[in-house]
Amino acid sequence: MTSAVAIERALLFALAAFLISVPWSIPALVNDFWVSVIAEILIWSLFAASVNLLFGYVGLLSFGQALYFGFGMYGVAIGISDLGLSFWPAFGLGVAAAMAMALVTGIFAVRLTWHYFAIITVVFSLIVYFLALSNKWLTGGDDGINFTLPATFSLGGKSWSFTDATFQYFFILATVALCFWLMHRLIGSPLGRAFLAIRDNDVRASLIGLNVYRLRLIAFIMAGFLAGVAGALFAFFGRYASASYMFYHVSGDAVVWAIVGGAGTLLGPLVGTTIFILVREIVSTHWEHHSLIVGVVAILVVMFAPKGLVGLWHEWLTRLTERGGAAAVETKLRTEP
Amino acid sequence: MSEPVLRTEHLTKRFGGLTAVDRLSFSLAGGRLHAIIGPNGAGKTTFFNLVSGLLSSDGGRVYFLGRDITGLKPHQISRLGIKRTLQIKSVFPQLAVADNLWITAQAGERFLHPFRPATRDRGTREKVERTLEQIGLSALAQRQAGTLSYGDVALLEIGMALISEPRLLLLDEPTCGMSPAETERAVGKIRELARVIDIIIIEHDMEVVFGIADDITVMAQGAILASGSPAEIAADERVREAYLGREEDADYVEEEVHA
Repeated sequence: MTSAVAIERALLFALAAFLISVPWSIPALVNDFWVSVIAEILIWSLFAASVNLLFGYVGLLSFGQALYFGFGMYGVAIGISDLGLSFWPAFGLGVAAAMAMALVTGIFAVRLTWHYFAIITVVFSLIVYFLALSNKWLTGGDDGINFTLPATFSLGGKSWSFTDATFQYFFILATVALCFWLMHRLIGSPLGRAFLAIRDNDVRASLIGLNVYRLRLIAFIMAGFLAGVAGALFAFFGRYASASYMFYHVSGDAVVWAIVGGAGTLLGPLVGTTIFILVREIVSTHWEHHSLIVGVVAILVVMFAPKGLVGLWHEWLTRLTERGGAAAVETKLRTEP
Repeated sequence: MSEPVLRTEHLTKRFGGLTAVDRLSFSLAGGRLHAIIGPNGAGKTTFFNLVSGLLSSDGGRVYFLGRDITGLKPHQISRLGIKRTLQIKSVFPQLAVADNLWITAQAGERFLHPFRPATRDRGTREKVERTLEQIGLSALAQRQAGTLSYGDVALLEIGMALISEPRLLLLDEPTCGMSPAETERAVGKIRELARVIDIIIIEHDMEVVFGIADDITVMAQGAILASGSPAEIAADERVREAYLGREEDADYVEEEVHA
């Protein structure tokens, strides 16, 4: 067991080292374009993490997370172009708008579970999507809103903003890493355990005294926070916001990414998002039907690896490091006569 | 006499045309282990579901320590100190045995910390370790609850009831599906528990019922048929007819009475 933990820690360290080195290593190895692809992967993996928090840890499958992503985007874009806000207030507005929307829709949605929950989340996101399309004066509709980037930090005449590609990359990396770290803390906390209990058995959870409705609502707002941060980052990254990102295709992508990567594992969404965006970037230039690959991979994973690729990896690693040990433990642990 | 621990007045539950619990008035005095028996479909589990809030009643009221708890949500009733086990064993299958106890111990807290490691709570850790020892599952603490044997799951459920420090414990067929050895262990545990908390137990195993109960209530068709001490119940003609009519059970009851 300890060797498995050591291997995973080493991998995590290697991942961190790679991500930090990206602005220098990737241009040297490939070109500048791939730095922004990796930044994009980071943002979308945070979005997939919001699906994962709900599905993997609370047992609620949301097909409407794009709604909160879109609110994160529009909060930033409207904040800057209409309200004249600077970087941080606009960022805050985006995240707050996403969380507020999650609260309002969550009050109704988390009364339901399973397919009813999935359907109501889609319905909410479709309603708002069409509202956003038709209210062009506010949202710009399909064309969206373009805005000029404000500086992120200004200090003594010197300023840093997303126009500097390296600064942009590190800001995104730091924000995404912080969110994943918070999620890691959450999973190990009393609140996180309560989420897991509800996922496993909601009737039993209520009988031990957990307020299942309120806890699901809290999780839903937290997922709205993650999606909102991702949306706000993506708005700064693309310098625009568009209603098209609220469409349920976007929500569905995140569900596939999270499940293929591994729902209920912290880094599953990162793995899933990475694979699918790499496939898209590499294959789509050669073959227009690249989504076929997405479909086939998704079906295979759902059939053969219910805990996704990360779950498969955990299983394999445990078997490898505990070979021979498992059987012995089994016989030793039996206490029944 | 002091206020009964649990009291129901004309409690009623209908499922369509079927009246599962029919104007049931029940009273549990403190300090007694009370068993509810009755044929299948008598409304025993429905009665538990009404008391614990999993079902809402169609009429009547439930009082716990004098407080009207009719219509409260399951988690609110649980927090008042009424805990229960389910007939179909019900734990958190993907969590480790220790984590099942851990979350149960922490569930009653008003504020669940979102970021501090759960394992840092030393009081809870000691409670979990003590409970694991009490139910004899210390060696299986890190096993996923879903991989346990049926008897061990039942013991874990009793452990979860135990760690939440209930004032009233509702056990729904706790020994159902257990091997004789497991049953013996569970019965010992229940008897031990009954010294400190009030317990109502639904049970089909007559050996268990007559072995541990101070009082027995017999239910049939949603109502109370008879109520009294094990000897009185065993001697009751109506009970014999309605429920204990089968030869082997009747013989057994004879033995118990004469023992």
